[in-house]
Formats: sequence, structure tokens, C-alpha cells
Amino acid sequence: MDQVRLSQALAAAVASNDPDAPLAVCRACVAWLPVTGASLTVMAGPDRQEPVCATDDVSARIDELQFSLGDGPCVESFSTGRAVLVADIADPGERRWPVFAAAAADTGARGMYVFPLNVGASRIGVLDCYRDTPGTLDQQELTGALRAADAAVWTLLDTMAPHAATHGAPEVDVVDGSSLARAEVHQATGMLIAQGDLTAAAALARLRAAAFATGRTITDIADDVLARRLRLHLDGSLRANGYQDDETMDDPAHPRSRGEEDPP
Amino acid sequence: MTTPARDREQTLVEAFVRLADTLVTDYDVIDLFHGLCADCVTLLDADAAGLLLTDQRGSLQLVSASNEQAHLVELFQLQADQGPCLDAFRTGHQVRADDLATEDRWPRFTSRARESGFAAVHALPMRLRGEVVGALNLFHRQHHVMDEADLGVGQALADVATIAILTDRSSRQRELLTEQLQAALTSRVIIEQAKGVLAERGRIGLDEAFARMRSYARGHQVRLADVARDVVEGDIDTAALFG
Repeated sequence: MDQVRLSQALAAAVASNDPDAPLAVCRACVAWLPVTGASLTVMAGPDRQEPVCATDDVSARIDELQFSLGDGPCVESFSTGRAVLVADIADPGERRWPVFAAAAADTGARGMYVFPLNVGASRIGVLDCYRDTPGTLDQQELTGALRAADAAVWTLLDTMAPHAATHGAPEVDVVDGSSLARAEVHQATGMLIAQGDLTAAAALARLRAAAFATGRTITDIADDVLARRLRLHLDGSLRANGYQDDETMDDPAHPRSRGEEDPP
Repeated sequence: MTTPARDREQTLVEAFVRLADTLVTDYDVIDLFHGLCADCVTLLDADAAGLLLTDQRGSLQLVSASNEQAHLVELFQLQADQGPCLDAFRTGHQVRADDLATEDRWPRFTSRARESGFAAVHALPMRLRGEVVGALNLFHRQHHVMDEADLGVGQALADVATIAILTDRSSRQRELLTEQLQAALTSRVIIEQAKGVLAERGRIGLDEAFARMRSYARGHQVRLADVARDVVEGDIDTAALFG
């Protein structure tokens, strides 16, 4: 596999702000990872899943089968929020999903690799990859698949909070998805959850939309939210002001010294 | 603060007995990590300790720290790019920086660490068979040379952390290290989100928010990760945490 080409394809998909971006992420998986097909499914309700896109009919069929049977790696990943990797769904020794395994045989799928799309506490969906030969993914391929799952998160968030006027997402956000590794992005997400009574996914979508609209990085926007320079307004945008009692509050980005919180 | 040798030995035994007790029960990996970081501070006379795990995308992320003050969290995060933890992670060897005043391997990290008042830093790899999955980071405010005995204790604590990830009961596929690491990191993300929710609701700082969650978890005998999830999902009356 080619990590660089995969990352470029994912970055292009995430930066495109295009309704087809989720499909572009799936296509990047098929092009640069050893998988035959890929699909995305989102959580449309507590017990309701909705297909978003698939690279081929078999992929779409695999998802549909699992959700109608209520069994399979995809369903498991949905309910647990954890990755599920299956070397060979047709292996008689594979007994985790008896109902689905029988049906899967007809689709020609062998290896199945499902990755949850989590935004902390929010499960927004799964990235489901299959291939028509048995086998596992090696470390490099897994890394690539995890990057694809990160990219899928961003493209799906975009459908939740579409960007009107855009400067485009700054390169640093889209190339490696590293902004999902920054604590302040998640802390700011938490503040927006409280400000707008939002889910974690919707709150992160607001951060990204604000980054898109201003051409700044999502980490910069998160810093402003944490320092209470930006807050969520009723129309869903992030704007300055809204805090009347600034003087009386701690600035969480620059907290006053409190000493160690816990004696050992 | 130096402890007489026998006291220290006693403390050490107690810590490892407690860790072993935890490992055979239905523990939460994040809670166990917090206990481990506190043990590092006590047993190794450190001023701060943290555990960083690989995110499998070539970077390291903080999962637990002995305290969550912003400047310290930043020091851990910086090491995604450069620093002793990244070196320990990449080489699989212990990295010592006894005296940051004369340190030149990681200019950006070193200057921030010194600004925060630290004089020495050590990083110990979390190793699993041929793989390195993260690093244990120890900070000292005074110039400090960890002797072989201390490094041995630190390495043993890092190894316990590695075992804890592997045997985490909530992990359904024990053979999949990648999956187990991801789960630990997701728990951490939820804690960060919960800190933000509480900071906003209670108009408090993020470190204070963390302290409130931890004391609530202890007071109610529940897992920190569960409290955090309930805060984010609105399943807990946050007023209870400000009481």
C-alpha cells in the first residue's frame, strides 16, 4: 500500500466540502488499501442505521444484510463502538455471528474490517471494508484504515453542519487528521455541548464549520472557545461576545495556579 | 523528600500488591492508569507523571497524568512532535534528561518544560514483545538522576500499564492490540469532552473540572470513564458535581 497516496486522497476528500466526499473516502480505501469494497453507514437514531455510500453493490449488500439480520461485525461495531476485524467470515471456526455468516457466504466477502466512527462519546457510524480473499491487515494497512476512518468522520460531520461561505479547511487539519489528537479540540467540543445542548458530534461539526468559514485551523478555533473569546450563538455559528461576566471567570486556557489537586 | 529504605520498600510492595489486585478484577483501564501515575509520583519522588500511548497513526497521545494542570498537559502533548517520550517510543529505550539546563535534543520541549519549572525528565518505553505502544513520562522540579533501582521501579510500573491495556476486560478482541489502544484513547477523548462541559457549566477551569469528576467518581465508587460519559451525554445532573 502507499501511505502517501492514501493520505493525499483522503485529504483531498476532506478538503473538498463536497456532498460526495464520504464516497471519495471509501474509494480511497479501495484504491490504496487491500480491500475490495468499502461503505459508510451512519447512526440515524438509537436503533436505526442509514447507509451513506458504498463503492460497489456487494458492499451495500453486506451492510444491508447485517442491519436487517441484526447480526454481524458491522452491527457489533455499531453497538460496542469498537473496531471489529475478521480474517475470514467464511471460516467455520468463526462463530461470532452465526446468523450473518451463513448469509455472507453468498456475497463472496471473506476478510471484513469494520472501524467505528467515534467522536468521543458520540458514535456517528462505521466504516465497513471487505475483501474477497481471506486475510488480516498488517500494521501499515491498519494505520491507513484508521486514517480513512478519521477522514470519514470529518466528511460526515460536514453533512451535519454544512459550510456556507468557505475559505477551505487549512491543510494542517486535513492532511493527517491530527486535530483529532488535540486535547483542546475535545475540551472545546465539551464547552459547545454545554452551550448549545448539542451532541459531541454536532459540537465538533460546529468547530469545523467555524474553521472552514474563517480559514483558520480547528485548533485555533478551539483555543478561542476555551479562552471564551468565541461562543455558540443561536444560529449555530461561533461568534465573539456573549459572556457578560468575563472578569469573574477563570480562563480555562490559562488557569490560575491551583496547586496539585490531589495529595498522593 | 527521601523516604528511608525500609519505608520505601514497604510502599513499593503495597503499590504492586494493589496493582495485582486490580488486574485480576473488572477494572477500568483509565482508573488504573491514574493510580499508576500517582504511584510514580510517590515511589519515584517525581513531581509529575504521565502515560502516553501511540494512536497508531505515528503519533503519541496523553491518556493519563498525575495532575491535569494545563501547562503539564501541554508538555505531554508537545511530545507528539519531539521530546523524550517520542524518543523512548521510537527507540524502545529509556531516555534520561537529568538536567534540562544542559539539554539540547528537544529545544522546543525543553524550553517549555523549563518555563513550567521542571529541571529533569525521564521517559520509559511501554514495550510489548517486539512492539512499543507508548511511554511513561516522569518530571522532576529539581535536577535529578534516576538510579538503576528507580529506573527499574519505573519500568515495572510502565510494564504494568502495558499489561493493563492487554487484559482490559471490556476489550472483546484481546488479540487486537490496535483495537485495545484505540479504546483507551477514546476513553481519554470522552474525559476531555467532559472537562469542557463542566468548565462551561460551572464556570471553572479545566483542571478544576477534572478534579470534580475524579472526586465524584471516588465518592460514588464509580469509574471515572463512566462519569465522563454521563456528563457528555447529559445522563448525570452536573449540579451534583458542583455540590
